Amino acid sequence: MKSHLFLTGICLLLLTGILPGTALAYATPESIVAYGHVFVSRAVYDPAVFFSGDHGTVTVYVTNGNGNESVVVNHAIIGDKNIRLTSNSYETSANIGPLQTQPFIFSVTADAVEGTYYPIFSLGFRDAESLYYPAMVKIDDTPLDISVIDKPDTYTPGKKKTVGLLVANPRNNNVTNVALEVTGAGITANPERIFIGEVGARAKVPVNITFTPRQETAVLLTLIYNNGDNPHRTTMEIPLVFRVDKKQANPVMSNVQVSSETGVYHVTGDVNNAGLETANTVMVTALAPAVPLDPYKTYVVGALKPDDFGSFEVTFTAEPGNTSIPIELSYKDDDGNIYRSLQDVKISSAGISAASASEGGSSNLLPVAVAVVLILLFVGFWAYNLKRNKK
Amino acid sequence: MNPSLIDILLRPDAFFSRLATENESLKIPALIILAGGIVAAIHGFLMGSLNAKMMAGVMPGMDIILYLVTAAGALIGVFIFWILAAGVFYLLSLLFKGQGSFNRVLAIAGYGYLPQIAGSILTLAAAIVYIPKITVPVLTKAALTDPAMTAEVTQALMHDPAMRELTQITTLVSIVFMLWSAHIWIYGMTHSRGLSPRDAAICVGGPVVLYVLYMTYTLGVM
Repeated sequence: MKSHLFLTGICLLLLTGILPGTALAYATPESIVAYGHVFVSRAVYDPAVFFSGDHGTVTVYVTNGNGNESVVVNHAIIGDKNIRLTSNSYETSANIGPLQTQPFIFSVTADAVEGTYYPIFSLGFRDAESLYYPAMVKIDDTPLDISVIDKPDTYTPGKKKTVGLLVANPRNNNVTNVALEVTGAGITANPERIFIGEVGARAKVPVNITFTPRQETAVLLTLIYNNGDNPHRTTMEIPLVFRVDKKQANPVMSNVQVSSETGVYHVTGDVNNAGLETANTVMVTALAPAVPLDPYKTYVVGALKPDDFGSFEVTFTAEPGNTSIPIELSYKDDDGNIYRSLQDVKISSAGISAASASEGGSSNLLPVAVAVVLILLFVGFWAYNLKRNKK
Repeated sequence: MNPSLIDILLRPDAFFSRLATENESLKIPALIILAGGIVAAIHGFLMGSLNAKMMAGVMPGMDIILYLVTAAGALIGVFIFWILAAGVFYLLSLLFKGQGSFNRVLAIAGYGYLPQIAGSILTLAAAIVYIPKITVPVLTKAALTDPAMTAEVTQALMHDPAMRELTQITTLVSIVFMLWSAHIWIYGMTHSRGLSPRDAAICVGGPVVLYVLYMTYTLGVM
């Protein structure tokens, strides 16, 4: 027991003798003055502006402003409850030479909502008190913006359309790896992904997307970008409702005439393009119940510009009893989509008679009346003749 | 033209009274019927083109046969009509105790056919004008086995506007010249069968008026 008390006394004597002796050995007035020339020259965040929840780094540059004296630092740390430190603090001694700058890099996570925050950077000196520096950082959740600046009047099935977009970065920092994805049920986009690259703070980039819809749907635009190393995305939908394209080509048949020779019908006529776009590869053919026959099973009129016209002739046979035959007019737009329209053409007067039976009846009245009058004249003449002879 | 033929058309009473004193001869009547038959055959040939078009899908390459059959039918038909008309007049005149041979009735039926040659020429001209305008429906093999469809096709042809007009013109012209023929036949029957004008008018006028009424009826329901 006595030996334990003796050892404890020895240790306490050593501690009280050594520690105060050491502190007193460095914390001199000269050293305090020298450490007063050490300052934080700048603190750089990456990303410069955080989204809530973003991970990033902060680099604090500490400069020794002394012209001929080094300083020793032995502890560095940054962060608070909003800007949380996720890497280790500096716990080893480091020497910063005269007029030298030493960076201290930390990983942090922005755990707060939007706002401006001042996490404290703390630097411990060997021979003086610590240095504290509020390193300002902003958290801003404003995403990138997509605007439609040019779009077609109408969408039609199978017809390729181009929409003009503007990708804008309203943030105060650059974003990188910006890419736009175009997706949607029943559409074919070409390309499906457009790489834009870096978009500077408050900058905007025009982008054109091209797609071909096959059904009424919504085109989903997904803008992907990195804020620092943190991926983010913004989405936008463009609803697609099919309507009649006011500008599309509109081939119309006119001056249709039917003739028949040895059982083969010849249908001739003109095709006028009443639309505002070119109708390519305009073709005319007869459909069932007609049986197309050489020499003009199908007549290719060719391309018709707006207000242009061309003549056609198709030949076919048909089963008896058919009073009209559907004539198909087809054309292609600039994307190769085929458009078809039908027009019934009367090939015999049977239909006419059915449609105008009363007209037919009335048209027979005159010849019947004439025939009756002739008979009455004949009978009357002979009745008179016989009566006169009898007298 | 022989003046006596002019008499047939304009003065049939005088013509047949003179003919009654001469020997029976069918030479001129047969020639008249033959002339009428030739015109009818040409008309039939043209109408046969419609049949040929209609049957093109069924019997391709048979056009000429159809033309000839139709033309021959028309030619023979005129001779059959001649004999039938004479037969009807002869039988009816028996009811009025008519006298004279059938050959003499056949002769007056032949002479009386003369106006109808003119009528046939007129209808032939009308056919030449109208037939190219007619749209002919095509009969196929499948349709040929279906009587209803065949009838429908025929109806379609008959209701073609050009065909309708041609039929109306042909019927009216035929009626006019048939009545003219009847007028001649009445005088012919009076002299050849010793009938009174009244009896002769009944013998000829009766069947002719019925026939013409039938033609008028078909014209009305067309």
